[in-house]
Amino acid sequence: MSFYKEKYDAVVVGGALSGLACALTLASKGKDVLVLERHNLPGGIATSFVRGGMEMEATLHEMMSIGPEEKPLKIRAFFDEMGVKIHWLRVPEAYHLSVPSEKIEITLHAGFQTMAREIDAEYPGTYDKVLRLMELCQTVYDSVNVLSVHPMSKPAMLAKHAAFVKTCGYSAKQVLDTFGLPREVFDILSAYWIYVGAPMDDLPFTIYAVLMADYFGGGSYVCRDFSYEMAARMAVRCEELGVQIEYLQEVEKILVDGGHVRGVRTKRGDVIHADYVACSAYPNRCYTSMIEPLSAVPKDALRSVSARKLSVTCFSVAMLLDRSPDELGIREYSYFNSFTDMDTSRQWENLKTLGPYGYLTTICLNRANPGCTPPGMTSLSITTLPLPDGYLHIAEDEYLERKRAIAREMIDQMSVYFGVRLLDHIVEIEIETPVTIAHYAGAWNGGIYGYRHSMDDHIVARLQMSEEENYIPGLSFCGAHAISGNGMSPVITNGRKAAKTLLDQMAKEAANA
Amino acid sequence: MKIQGFLKDVGGAGRVTARRRSLFESASAAPEARDPIGELARALHPGKLELTVADVQDVSPTARKIRFTPKDGHLPVFQCGQYLSLDLQIGQTVTTRPYSICSAPYQARQAEPFVEITVRNGKSDGFAANYLYAGVKPGDVFTASLPFGQFYYEPLRDSRHIVGLAGGSGITPFYSMAQEIAAGRLDAELTVLYGSVTSADIILRAELEAVHSEKVHYVNVISGEKDYPGEKGFLTRELIARYAGPDSTFFVCGPLPMYKLVARELAALNVPPKRIRMEVFGAPKDVSRAEGYPAEKLGETYTITVVRGVQEDAVPARASEPVAAALERAGIPIPTRCRSGACGYCHSRLLSGEIFVPADGDGRRAADRELGFFHACSSYPLSDLKIKIPIL
Repeated sequence: MSFYKEKYDAVVVGGALSGLACALTLASKGKDVLVLERHNLPGGIATSFVRGGMEMEATLHEMMSIGPEEKPLKIRAFFDEMGVKIHWLRVPEAYHLSVPSEKIEITLHAGFQTMAREIDAEYPGTYDKVLRLMELCQTVYDSVNVLSVHPMSKPAMLAKHAAFVKTCGYSAKQVLDTFGLPREVFDILSAYWIYVGAPMDDLPFTIYAVLMADYFGGGSYVCRDFSYEMAARMAVRCEELGVQIEYLQEVEKILVDGGHVRGVRTKRGDVIHADYVACSAYPNRCYTSMIEPLSAVPKDALRSVSARKLSVTCFSVAMLLDRSPDELGIREYSYFNSFTDMDTSRQWENLKTLGPYGYLTTICLNRANPGCTPPGMTSLSITTLPLPDGYLHIAEDEYLERKRAIAREMIDQMSVYFGVRLLDHIVEIEIETPVTIAHYAGAWNGGIYGYRHSMDDHIVARLQMSEEENYIPGLSFCGAHAISGNGMSPVITNGRKAAKTLLDQMAKEAANA
Repeated sequence: MKIQGFLKDVGGAGRVTARRRSLFESASAAPEARDPIGELARALHPGKLELTVADVQDVSPTARKIRFTPKDGHLPVFQCGQYLSLDLQIGQTVTTRPYSICSAPYQARQAEPFVEITVRNGKSDGFAANYLYAGVKPGDVFTASLPFGQFYYEPLRDSRHIVGLAGGSGITPFYSMAQEIAAGRLDAELTVLYGSVTSADIILRAELEAVHSEKVHYVNVISGEKDYPGEKGFLTRELIARYAGPDSTFFVCGPLPMYKLVARELAALNVPPKRIRMEVFGAPKDVSRAEGYPAEKLGETYTITVVRGVQEDAVPARASEPVAAALERAGIPIPTRCRSGACGYCHSRLLSGEIFVPADGDGRRAADRELGFFHACSSYPLSDLKIKIPIL
């Protein structure tokens, strides 16, 4: 008995946000698509879980590229175009940053003038500089949005997108240094560094600019029904468009014959025919164990995997507390706490350890989504994004104790900050570690951010080289490890790009045939 | 604008691309193929395991403890109170059952590792338990997966003083806990209040008495024997108050009706919700008694059209049984683990028709409810259904 058709136009390996965005895009162009997801749910780490009858967010802090309904940014526009209706809730502020060593305690809100005023109120005389920086970020962001859809010649680019061209060879630090900002203001404007997983002196300014313009321009958003809402609604929409989605089906092999993808084989043993595959598994896994035969993997593909460095994974403590945010004195939605200093290169080194971690992100979901818990309770998560390094040598028998010790440290750090002993208020707690990510999502070494954004692996270089990196005809990649990198919005963009790569190949190969 | 000079500024794109390309060209063509964090994840959650029955032992006149050893020599780390999911084929029925592990975690990690469960005979809902009780013998091989469940002591949340409130075969996770504490592997104190009708119903009595110590107290509470020399009656607030500390965490495990009764007693003692942990196994014996159930549907039978991939099958279903049970009876396997609506492993999609989900067994996410995803192990048909389930 076969549960599959004779052949599909394309198979998407992985039904997380990126894979679903890819499937939606392919299906909207009339392609016959099969999505195979190893977990029993869509969404990958865009998910939630139920404890004691209450739903808890697993991962989402804030979505970028949504923007208000009347002025949609590209991800909201994509969902609208695809007929996926999400209940977006606006996050009230950008972030609160606390750096006691520099006496920084500041809350910033979206809106360039608003945030510049908020910074100027604490550090007078900086308004114009901050505003100019944000305007530069906006200019670069606009260029990226144009150029990612309409590539153009170098002279044309220099004429029309001078700021983008002139800043892309520099790190965020190099560009910010030209603004003559006081150190504290530089540090305040670095707070988001962790959301791209790169220290300021190695983070391409291009990426920094996109992040700052997007978050401070359009604000950030979460889903009313947790990040799982996006996954579930995308999956349902896929099926309405004729996509077949099968859960609990792990793809073990991508079959290549005659220099072209020919299908996949699942762990269950089903061989499924398709000449095009979009793969959400990391290239590290794909090129070292999934392609069959492995001799079909070009040397250049293997070199690309060796050359690229994995970015961060995730350690997060999700809690439901038995008091309201007001009672606990938790005023904001999003906190960045630096317990040492804002030297992001030093923080980066700290992320290679098992803690104590110097930079934590804390989200009080009730502040954006008051209905996310029963009244009188708080949904609080404390997160750090460590590199895999520290977690490579943990033994099975020490795992539970280690994860609790790290979680305990993080809870204690934030208890001191909030002035309330959080341990006394925990109703439900789940600790997510890099191992949890590897278990549920199958992500290579628990990675959630794909490859590091860095001056060695620059977004502009990625775009320039993207064609030559389609090493195996018929194969494209979606997920955080694809061009645009990490974050729930960028992975959706990656999924769309993976679909476009396959659609272009389909058209070209059909024309040649 | 100028960063470091016009020429250097405009050469940026070329520079970063050349840099990346040269790194690619000089990199090794033999990349690291190991994924140590993935390997740890697979060791902790190994999926299906082959387990051999090593020993079967009577632990009451009606209950048997079954010891399993892993065929490949490896059992994963688990925590006291977690369960294993046992694959069963009984006649045409392909099903699974969750059993709390009653052996201690350290026994799964020692030189000759094993896990144990205890099954009881003769209960009206004990289709699988009766089969195991009567039919299992050393040398039999089963497929199982573990560990699952949230019914474990969490030191970041729970009080170090645990009061176990047990009924029937709900004693089994506490035996695991008691042994782990006795072995010095779990830093907690345990007082078990174990309700039974008669002393003949007590399971694992000798075993629990053997681990009685400073840190493990074990009290039988007998409701149906006038002459019983110890605690008589039920797990009432008065009884619980006598044994509880000033800040205990209550772990409750037993037959379904027990949870509501115990919740009422604990509420009367003003125990805050964060101090109460409830295990739940099994669908209600009589769904018509669940709040909101449309009583007129009870005797009905319906047809469920089951979509698996491009395949469709039709199976008969009773309004009184969970969707998963109807499929299994018809020989259509469906992934299940907790069989209580909680774990969501049987996550399926309702394409048409109407289901009833008892509030106690509703572990769906908000978006699931809105979009028609449901947990087949805890949902009852109220009409003909068309559903999509995962391929097994």
